[in-house]
Amino acid sequence: MTFKLTRRGILKASAATAATLAMPSIVTAAGKNDFSGKEIRLLTWSDNTGLAILENIAKPFEEMTGAKVIADRTGSTSEMVAKLRASGGKAQYDVITLAGVGAVELAGDGLLAKPDLNMLPNLEKVDPRFRSGAEGHGIGYLLWTGGMVYNTKTFKEPPKSYAEMWDAAHAGRLFLPPATWTDALDTIFATGKMIGGDGTNSEAAFAKLAELRSSILTFGENPGQISELFRSDALDIGGVYAPAFFAKELANPAESNMGATYDLDEGFFADLMYTIVPKSKPGDDDVVHAFINYTLDDKVQGVMAEAVLNGPINQQAVMSEAAKASPFIIKPEQLSEKAVVHDKAFIADVREKWIATYQQTLS
Amino acid sequence: MSTEFLPRKQALLFAAPAFIAILPFLGACFYILRFSLSGEQGTIEGLSFQAYRDLMTPFFGRSVWLTLKLAFVATVIVMVLAVPLAFVLTSLRSSFFRRLLTISILLPLILNLLVQAYGWILLLGPSGVLNSSLKALGIIERPLFLLFNETGVLLGLVQTSLPLAVFPIVGAVRAISPEYLEAASSLGAGHWRTFKDVTVPLLRPGLVGAASIVFAFNASAFAIPLLLGGRRVQMMGLVIRDMISPLFNWSGAAAAGMILIVLTLFVLVASSWLVRLTTTAKETH
Amino acid sequence: MRVGLLPTEGGGTYRFAILFLATIGILISSLPVIVVTIMSFSASEYSSFPPTEFSFRWYLEVVQLFTNEDPSSAQSVVDSTLTSLLVAFLVMVISTLVCIPLAYALARSNRNLREGMELLFTLPLVFPLVMLGIAFLLIAESLQLELGIWRIAIPHIALVLPFVLRNCLSAMNGISVEIEEAAISLGASPPRAIWDVVVPLMKAGILAGLIFALIISFNEFTVTFFMYTIDVSTLPIWMYSRTVSSLDPATLALSVFIIVVDVFLVVLVDKLIAGRGNLF
Repeated sequence: MTFKLTRRGILKASAATAATLAMPSIVTAAGKNDFSGKEIRLLTWSDNTGLAILENIAKPFEEMTGAKVIADRTGSTSEMVAKLRASGGKAQYDVITLAGVGAVELAGDGLLAKPDLNMLPNLEKVDPRFRSGAEGHGIGYLLWTGGMVYNTKTFKEPPKSYAEMWDAAHAGRLFLPPATWTDALDTIFATGKMIGGDGTNSEAAFAKLAELRSSILTFGENPGQISELFRSDALDIGGVYAPAFFAKELANPAESNMGATYDLDEGFFADLMYTIVPKSKPGDDDVVHAFINYTLDDKVQGVMAEAVLNGPINQQAVMSEAAKASPFIIKPEQLSEKAVVHDKAFIADVREKWIATYQQTLS
Repeated sequence: MSTEFLPRKQALLFAAPAFIAILPFLGACFYILRFSLSGEQGTIEGLSFQAYRDLMTPFFGRSVWLTLKLAFVATVIVMVLAVPLAFVLTSLRSSFFRRLLTISILLPLILNLLVQAYGWILLLGPSGVLNSSLKALGIIERPLFLLFNETGVLLGLVQTSLPLAVFPIVGAVRAISPEYLEAASSLGAGHWRTFKDVTVPLLRPGLVGAASIVFAFNASAFAIPLLLGGRRVQMMGLVIRDMISPLFNWSGAAAAGMILIVLTLFVLVASSWLVRLTTTAKETH
Repeated sequence: MRVGLLPTEGGGTYRFAILFLATIGILISSLPVIVVTIMSFSASEYSSFPPTEFSFRWYLEVVQLFTNEDPSSAQSVVDSTLTSLLVAFLVMVISTLVCIPLAYALARSNRNLREGMELLFTLPLVFPLVMLGIAFLLIAESLQLELGIWRIAIPHIALVLPFVLRNCLSAMNGISVEIEEAAISLGASPPRAIWDVVVPLMKAGILAGLIFALIISFNEFTVTFFMYTIDVSTLPIWMYSRTVSSLDPATLALSVFIIVVDVFLVVLVDKLIAGRGNLF
């Protein structure tokens, strides 16, 4: 096994050994590939990232195994969590993909099962930092990455720093992420770094952010609206925001006026998304694990990265030449340098306070 | 006026089916009330006023004030527009035009709000039709910001609640017997005079009913401030939503919901009391 | 007709003011829809308003959505539409049937009772929908009820009651007791007098109530979002996953399509209830 051990590489040795030991039996089990007649119920995002899962993961998985994937594509992570919490033990779903915060919340409620890592052989190709989380309840899926989105008419060259947002020329043509998104926490962090701190200097960061108050046109609650505002040339710049929302627009800047960059002095933000399994799932263990394993497949990871501009976590992800050249997709090697991956415990600590302060400072 | 024609027992019998229909809702109300008194944020446990105490912040106070203000202003605008619309609707002779008008008033209830917001952005956005025309005509230099602020929210509230007011008023207008108006005009009263002294008093119960439904609807709005307020107009519906889903403070949301309900009910009761006071004062004169 | 309200000739400032305000009202109601409808006929995917070229291509896409349904999706658009129609029908019928006697009873009983009840039945409107959605879900789950389609219909009924009741009540207001008494003195039993004399007079209000119930239930999103399951889901839920991802012209075309369905339903109800284009 060739792990690229990076600074945050934390993987329990035992899990790794267990995975290696379990390999042969898995190969035979997965080799059968026959789950015909079985069903798997999947819950995922309603936006284009969810659609891409259907096309690039669910469909080929059905073809390969004969299992039937019933997909529910509704809601954002926080809406999914609210709904799952309210339905308590009675889960309708087998597999759910969602953002990191959601997995941690649900695991905290004791609603999640711990997937058997031995049944997920593809994990060994995954960057050890991103294999699992939420105390073993979440299996890494893809990286949600946030940088800056800008107007290609205004900027001939991509902006190099978040400081561009404070430029008076962009007053009234600026957007920020809404307070309730993780991206807002990233924005506070980025501001802190921009003014010379390490990102956790939130008080100074809020003071700096307060200067933006009158320049904001809108908060980016709805990516479709943001896209329309760029197209009609009403916005110049905004962040921290995920290019993932704008895969289609970024491919056609002449029409959409949209560009995005991760190459910023203060760095960009990466948040690991998870696949989770509710405790009382209706479906079959084998199919569920085979499905999760398939989400980590070399090809699947490459195709998904290209489709939704997320960062692949499989280090052997197969990407097309176009995807490799794309500035919007984070390649595994880029991650080690400028990616800011939040310390989950720290974020959990400050989250509520930061959300409230952000809201009160800016709106 | 006709009153107390029906014996009490029979009245209760007539009301029973509706009670059964609203029962699950009352259950939910009670549940929310109980939740707001919970000691925990995510589950019902213990009995405490903590959730209410936590809401006593300037931020929440501003949100309450903003909500009541916007709902009130929107209600006034809606009533000013709905009465003429009801007049026009009841005087149209051609059934085709009547239908066309009815449907165009109902449209805001039908179309997905996200799509409607998109329509407004195309029209009133910083680079929308209105701003670019005004710019081309040299009337303005910088775009007018009509969306993503209180103006935008107000517009959306008026639009979505207009149909709620028009139809009850239409019902009330139909009930006015033409003799009153003919009498007024034969006595030489002008149109404005007739409107003020005859039409409005006759319509009063319908108008109050329509206004209260509009006020209540607007006070609890959340999709409109979300989509047309650019997230900057923190109405209570929005604050409650944020508590429910990203913050998972359900007892807080329940408490905020209870406050919203009590305030709205207070406004409704107070207004109907005021109306009653003024009408009885007039009748005794 | 009601000459006094909107004079057909003359009327000076009064007539002008009424027409002016009504026009503003119509514009506020319908402008976004008009814009969206025009955009849905745009030939290109990215275009500003108004578009320069027109085509039906997005409507063809919508037709395809309904015909080549992807069976792997839980929320087949056809199934969701059928569920929505069924729920809306149940909600419409039940809410109207319970509101007619209530409106009658309220109009014929004393004022205090009436005001109290009106307030009670306004409550569903006052509650923030998100809170209501989660409360309904928590209750349904804690009672472990297998409700099927009623999961969605029961909350919808509560939501439309204020609208249906207001419309029925405003129609009841104009019906004086004398008419009923006259019918009874002519030999009709009190229930007959109500059914044969009062209800037909309430028709306009009942119809408005029916239409509101239909439209609100058919398009309700927030509460339904919490209550739907992978097996019972509605058209707005399905639509949501489209509008969140992008506001492309196909989505707009689909919206226009939904409007057409709504209008068709409204006209249908009107025809069925009101008979020969009598109202609305």
